[in-house]
Amino acid sequence: MKFRNPQKESTVKLHHLLASAAATLALTFGAATAQTIGYIYVGPEKDYGYNTSHDLGRQFVEKNVAGTRTLHVENIPETAEVERVMERMIKSGASIVFATSYGYLDYAIALGKKYPKVSFMHAGGLKLGDNVGTYWANSDDAIYLAGMAAGSVTKSGKLGFIAAFPIPQVVRSINAFTLGAQAVNPNATTTVVWTGGWLDPAKEAEASNSLIDAGVDVIGEQVDSPITIAQTAEKRGIHVIGKDVDVSKFAPKAVLTGASWNWGPAMVKVVNEIKGGKWKPSHIRGDLKDGTVVLDPFGPAVTEPVRKTILAKKDDILKDKFEVWSGPLVAQDGKELLAAGKPMSMEMLESMDFFVKGVVGSVK
Amino acid sequence: MDSLEIVFSGFLISALRSATPLLLALLGECLGQRTGIINLGTEGQMLIGAMAGYGATAAFGNPWLGLAAGAGAGLSLASVHATLAIGARANQFASGLAVWMLGSGLSAYFGAAFVGRKIASFDSVDAGAVATWPIVGSLVSGVTPTVLIALLLVPVIGIWMYRTRTGLRWRAVGESPDSARAAGVSPAWVQVQAVLAGGLLSGLGGAALSVDYTRTWAEGMSAGRGLVAVGLVIVARWNPWWTLPAALLFGGAEALSLRLQAANTPISAHLLHTLPYVVSLVVLTLTYVRARASGAPAGLTAVMDR
Repeated sequence: MKFRNPQKESTVKLHHLLASAAATLALTFGAATAQTIGYIYVGPEKDYGYNTSHDLGRQFVEKNVAGTRTLHVENIPETAEVERVMERMIKSGASIVFATSYGYLDYAIALGKKYPKVSFMHAGGLKLGDNVGTYWANSDDAIYLAGMAAGSVTKSGKLGFIAAFPIPQVVRSINAFTLGAQAVNPNATTTVVWTGGWLDPAKEAEASNSLIDAGVDVIGEQVDSPITIAQTAEKRGIHVIGKDVDVSKFAPKAVLTGASWNWGPAMVKVVNEIKGGKWKPSHIRGDLKDGTVVLDPFGPAVTEPVRKTILAKKDDILKDKFEVWSGPLVAQDGKELLAAGKPMSMEMLESMDFFVKGVVGSVK
Repeated sequence: MDSLEIVFSGFLISALRSATPLLLALLGECLGQRTGIINLGTEGQMLIGAMAGYGATAAFGNPWLGLAAGAGAGLSLASVHATLAIGARANQFASGLAVWMLGSGLSAYFGAAFVGRKIASFDSVDAGAVATWPIVGSLVSGVTPTVLIALLLVPVIGIWMYRTRTGLRWRAVGESPDSARAAGVSPAWVQVQAVLAGGLLSGLGGAALSVDYTRTWAEGMSAGRGLVAVGLVIVARWNPWWTLPAALLFGGAEALSLRLQAANTPISAHLLHTLPYVVSLVVLTLTYVRARASGAPAGLTAVMDR
């Protein structure tokens, strides 16, 4: 789920117009011979982050479902424009539409009523329609495991986390990352720097430099595109944890591991169900266990014993022997949040607005 | 290391690095406004410069070529503003907005191919033994060519504007186009040159951002710095010499907002992010109260009041 800076999205930029013009052309001249599936992205398909992860899913579907053709349109803001793009997709034969951004939900539900024979899949929504389902996946387990890698590799015991805004999804990542690091390195701390924007490479570079100057030697991140932070870490000789897409090719020495999406198999499954007429709209939720979230391959800085420890913990998670969000859990100020052995409630998890002990920084 | 030390060790170089792309764009905008032309397209020129600079560096493997390409792209885009605002006498604000949108769209469209490409860029200056000295060490070893270029351009443009005949002509055009015309100077030609020079500098600023500072190309990466430059000209009182402190003030406040978080100060990040703007506002208010006049070229005031 991505919450965008509304200011960034509300401006109708020229390239949005260009994109819609291009979409019109592509959709007008596309012939509807095979099963056609449409994909709509809120940002550039090549952001090497959230949107790239969805485009990889699209390519996987095209390769693995016989007789399938996909359409995709990038840079569509969360406005009525989405509705127009979806409608054009349907008119050129799309029978399934993946609306991959959080703010597309209401438009998908509205169009679902107008086109009852078309199936809609929305990323992260909490509402359903007669022909509108949702899908999402929980990264917390993978981020916890990545945090273990960070806690093992750090020499200073000081970790950093660069993120855009203090929203629950990001706060969860920061806490899971810190808990993972503390599992192998009890004194590890995570210093948080908010950049105040999903995309501002200059601030991301400066935030990385500030953390590194303060002695931080592993940085986690949750911004639009991880490239700037990964490349700054590589240049300064420290380490970084990826998110959304494996970024090791941009920073081969710096990347330890990361938490990536793998939407492909889940998308293939739902497409096949729709084709077979067995699909009922529901909230499909994946995680590390079903493979929708993947722990990225380890970088060279992660030693063999550390890899073994992390993979053993991963095994425990897969076999339900370990739960990240369970007590004992202590807040930043030392207050007890959860008693030992108690699981966290769904509400507490989904509206997380606190940091755990060892996180340095403010949620407010 | 205690927290204050964290904030201030490397703060100066951090502020300089943050300020450099802004300083280049600010110098360019200062030239234009000094001759009576406001260019809101600076943001678009920075973006097109950042994209072209990054693309050229990726294609040719040479960051100097990248800077040149960025400057060239900024200049080309500024020619649109020159044609509309001076040639066709279109409204300066409308024309500037058009240039901004055009730069934003074109850079996103052509830049899509460069997202995620790796580039070879400048090495930091090899400081030798100096690198281990406190404060000075981090300053010298953190300096990159674009920082030096920007720092050097301030006195070059400052001296040129106040100590040469052409500089005098440019100022005359900004103060009173009619007197300049009477003295045999063509105001339109001077303004065209100033807008093109502004495009060159903001394109260079954009390239400094992508090629040197972040080594990344991302859509919309200037994140409003071009617009900030248009406003900061007021803080710099239309004086090239004052662009350096104005840009440093802004860059310094931005660097400080991130460094204070890294050093764990108990101040809200949301408040810290307003720091650059608050500082600019305070300076603006103080200068107006002290000087009781904006220091704007009369020709420019005419544009505003028209």
